[in-house]
Amino acid sequence: MAGEVNGKTTIRILLVDDEEEFVTTLSERMEMRGFDASVAFDGQKAMESLKTRIPDVMVLDLRMPGIDGMEVLERVKKQNPEIQVIILTGHGSDQDAEQAWRLGAFDYLQKPVGVDALVESIRKAYQQKRQSACAEESSANE
Amino acid sequence: MNPETEKTLAFFGRMTANLTHEFKNILAIIQESAGLMEDIMAISPLAKDKYQERFNNSMNTIKNQLQRGMELATRFNRFAHTPDHSRAELELAETMVHFCTLTERFARLKHISLQAGNQQGQEIKITTNPLLLYMVLFYSLDACLSVLPAQCEIRLIPVQKDENVAVEIACSGKQAPSAEDFFTSLRQSSIWADLENAAEQLNAELKCNTDDLRFYLILK
Repeated sequence: MAGEVNGKTTIRILLVDDEEEFVTTLSERMEMRGFDASVAFDGQKAMESLKTRIPDVMVLDLRMPGIDGMEVLERVKKQNPEIQVIILTGHGSDQDAEQAWRLGAFDYLQKPVGVDALVESIRKAYQQKRQSACAEESSANE
Repeated sequence: MNPETEKTLAFFGRMTANLTHEFKNILAIIQESAGLMEDIMAISPLAKDKYQERFNNSMNTIKNQLQRGMELATRFNRFAHTPDHSRAELELAETMVHFCTLTERFARLKHISLQAGNQQGQEIKITTNPLLLYMVLFYSLDACLSVLPAQCEIRLIPVQKDENVAVEIACSGKQAPSAEDFFTSLRQSSIWADLENAAEQLNAELKCNTDDLRFYLILK
């Protein structure tokens, strides 16, 4: 969940991609922009990491060894529907995009993506998460 | 469109999609590395020393990825020219390296290692239909990937077999199935039928070594 650093909300993100150099560098850039970023190099590790750290937003590749991104998306939306998932893939078929939307992806971006566009999408995803949480809270109080 | 043309186009489609995905990954790594360097340049001059090593690492990453991209582009270009001639002379060991570089990602996605071997260390040249040979190799790989579990290894080795030249497709791994199960599953897979058809068109023979997980593509 989002934490606080110097009174400012820090958005927790999990970056999942089997291209290790890509995801490690992207993580550093996200840290420089104030995000609390962690990485996983495949779907299995991403799912395991959720046992100890729940991110606000997951940035997920589709084609990975082992459990692929679509399956990770499906499992995450079942187990932790509050996590917003942004697909970031180099394999952008229309069918994949359609399936990702159907499974509840927040956004569908193509590699290579500009860092500003990704940051904007993550912030919007976080806003969406907060709004959903507020809505749930209000309906529980009614 | 006749079924053979459809199969050929489907093969080219899968190869192209796979390679463009690799190119996008390369471009994404270059973009992020260059972006990180830009980020470092934008911070206070006092902090730059702290990031000098990371800056240099990013520079090396860009150089390495450019090299990876160049090699892939060269191999992709060569592959794209395979339909140019219905017969051409090929050196088999080099062809196996070329094929494995182009298709390594298919194996990687299944946690399977793909390697080109050259046991005899000698040049073996054949005159054949390059496109059909690549299709037969692709179906062989695809068939193996459909039945092997993760952590296995596939090796493509050119061999001189009796009077003929052949490619040995050798699979291994601790979790690999028995030879009997391996060949039963292979033959039941739909890809095997495509492989047999393409091999016949190439005038090649498929020979299975039922003692272990090896089969041969004998090129006539």
